[in-house]
Amino acid sequence: MRPRPLTALVLANLQRQLRDKVGMFFIVVMPFVTILFVGMALGGDAADAKLPVAVVADTSDPVSAAVVAELESDKALQVRRAESAQEVRDDVRRGELAAGLVVTPGDTDLELVMTQTSGSGMAARSEIDVAVGRVAAVLEATRAARAAGASPEQAEQYVRKAKEESVAVTVASTGGDEPSRPTGFAYTAPANLLLFTFVNSMAVAAALVESRRIGMVRRSLAAPVRRSQVLLGEALSRFAVALAQSLLIIVVSRLLFDVRWGDPLGVGVVVALFCLIATGAAMLVGALVRSPQQAPAIGPPVGIVLGMLGGCLWPREVAGETLGTIGYLFPHSWAMDALLTLSRPSAGLGSVLVETGVLAGMAVVVLGVAMVVFQRRALATV
Amino acid sequence: MTPALVCERLVKRYGDKTVVDRVGFHIDEGEAYGLLGPNGAGKTTTISMLVGLLRPDEGTVRVGGIDVGEDPVAAKRLIGYVPQEIALYPELTARENLRYFGRLYGLPRRELTSRIGEVLDLVGLTDRGDDKVGTYSGGMKRRTNIAVALLHRPRLLILDEPTVGVDPQSRVAILDRVEALVGEGMSLLYTSHYMEEVERVCTRVGIIDRGRVVADGTKRELVAELGGTDRVELTLDGDVTAAAEKLRAVEGVSESVVTGSSSIRLLVAGGRHLLPALLAAIGDAGAVTGVEVVEPDLEAAFLHLTGSTLRD
Repeated sequence: MRPRPLTALVLANLQRQLRDKVGMFFIVVMPFVTILFVGMALGGDAADAKLPVAVVADTSDPVSAAVVAELESDKALQVRRAESAQEVRDDVRRGELAAGLVVTPGDTDLELVMTQTSGSGMAARSEIDVAVGRVAAVLEATRAARAAGASPEQAEQYVRKAKEESVAVTVASTGGDEPSRPTGFAYTAPANLLLFTFVNSMAVAAALVESRRIGMVRRSLAAPVRRSQVLLGEALSRFAVALAQSLLIIVVSRLLFDVRWGDPLGVGVVVALFCLIATGAAMLVGALVRSPQQAPAIGPPVGIVLGMLGGCLWPREVAGETLGTIGYLFPHSWAMDALLTLSRPSAGLGSVLVETGVLAGMAVVVLGVAMVVFQRRALATV
Repeated sequence: MTPALVCERLVKRYGDKTVVDRVGFHIDEGEAYGLLGPNGAGKTTTISMLVGLLRPDEGTVRVGGIDVGEDPVAAKRLIGYVPQEIALYPELTARENLRYFGRLYGLPRRELTSRIGEVLDLVGLTDRGDDKVGTYSGGMKRRTNIAVALLHRPRLLILDEPTVGVDPQSRVAILDRVEALVGEGMSLLYTSHYMEEVERVCTRVGIIDRGRVVADGTKRELVAELGGTDRVELTLDGDVTAAAEKLRAVEGVSESVVTGSSSIRLLVAGGRHLLPALLAAIGDAGAVTGVEVVEPDLEAAFLHLTGSTLRD
């Protein structure tokens, strides 16, 4: 007779998890409802929906005309002309515009109108930055040609030629990028993966508290097994649930929302490390909390606050610098950075070594503390 | 033959408090041993040390010749432990719970299904085996708890209060089952609040009080220690506490305890001859409505040894 405590504990705990209807709702249904709604709110499929932008400009001024032309050629933007800066401000405030741009002839400072808290504003800003940058480059190149002794006509000719070449290059690169253009879901899918994996791990710790309360842990220790095996079996059970939650979100978001997660190895390592941290947190809750009702009461609020700080509920830029910095004390921010980096086409595990290292360190610390606490609180005092 | 269990000078302290104080007894192969004691006497703490859940501060435990401290895994393999609490996952069925424990004890995969069927049959739950344990009555849960302990064919069965919270019908079924197992040669350690269960099932009894084994022997040996002392059960209307106090002062009365809101138990040397003196002693404290003189039995021995009743 060879005892199989790990198999026994993992299978029994998974069976219990599957019987928990409320728990399964939060694991199987809730993440996708959230991803769907938040993803749509953050711009959904950006390839279809253009960002509305208004420009106040006098097109008789060549620079202003160039900026307007650049903006109108941007496929991500829907540009309309506005009469006054005030009109633009009002429309931005009402949310009718993602952003507005006021160009004053002769003035080199352009006024950008947007609200601090909108994701589409951020997106529009980056598009405007690119357009203005192109115009600025043309002006700079023309001035350089003139300074080098070319006549105005010659200078214009050189610059137009250079611009045509650069446009060719640009078209080639954006053309290649088109299928993997990030959508609103590209942000919310990883954000909710982290949020739900962590929150649900803390909530399923209730089953562990219940095992302690009804004397199941004690009874299992009376079997011919070692304490460390029971401890490992309980930890492995939580890890399996966390990993299943993550995999479910990755697969379903890929199929339903066409989210590109990037390098499988990199994503696998980051997600596995995050799951280990969630397991540690679950074991801590399982060891410290007295009644099974307390675990679902404590877990989700903690998980949601950490999610807020880590940019799982809204983009971290929105929260401001102080909160963003605090966020880096917790695993969510690091995992979020890693997953967003990995979603870029050429990124791999090598691009997220720092984040992976920090997550591995956190996993060691949290799991270590959790194991010691669980050993003392739940196993020694049987 | 190697005894099924030997424990010697077991000590367990929590801070200044010694909960188990030099406890020692042995159970021969095939013998049924009862451990009797009032609440808080140290029964469960002792059992925790016997089954390897708690490390004793002093003393040794050997199960089938194996030292529990030295090789707990091998020793635990020989024990079938039925704890006081219902240690079953309520959201799983009895069969699923048994499968869990079967894996935990390392029963071969091929054998597991048929063995689960056997133990379910043994405790009379074959037709409810696929229902969730959470839907069971107290008695059915207790029976499943016992089935778990029998799964790996242990040599020594340890039952810690196996009939608490059980309906009379299930209680009879459990006792019948335990008796049959002992008849088949299983060694048994049985603790209970119910004297009559221990009297029925066990051939030898240890009495534990305040962490110490105060007596150990067959029922006949324990009762013989009482000599000519009878047990007298009095029923009365009135102030039982005051009445018990007055009765204690009567010469020949060695113990006098309140057993209910209108009942008192006495140990009296030559009980039947002292009855008039007893009734006179109560006086104004109450009106006696019933008197019973009982020949010396285990209940009387227990009172004699511990100065208390089992269920207080």
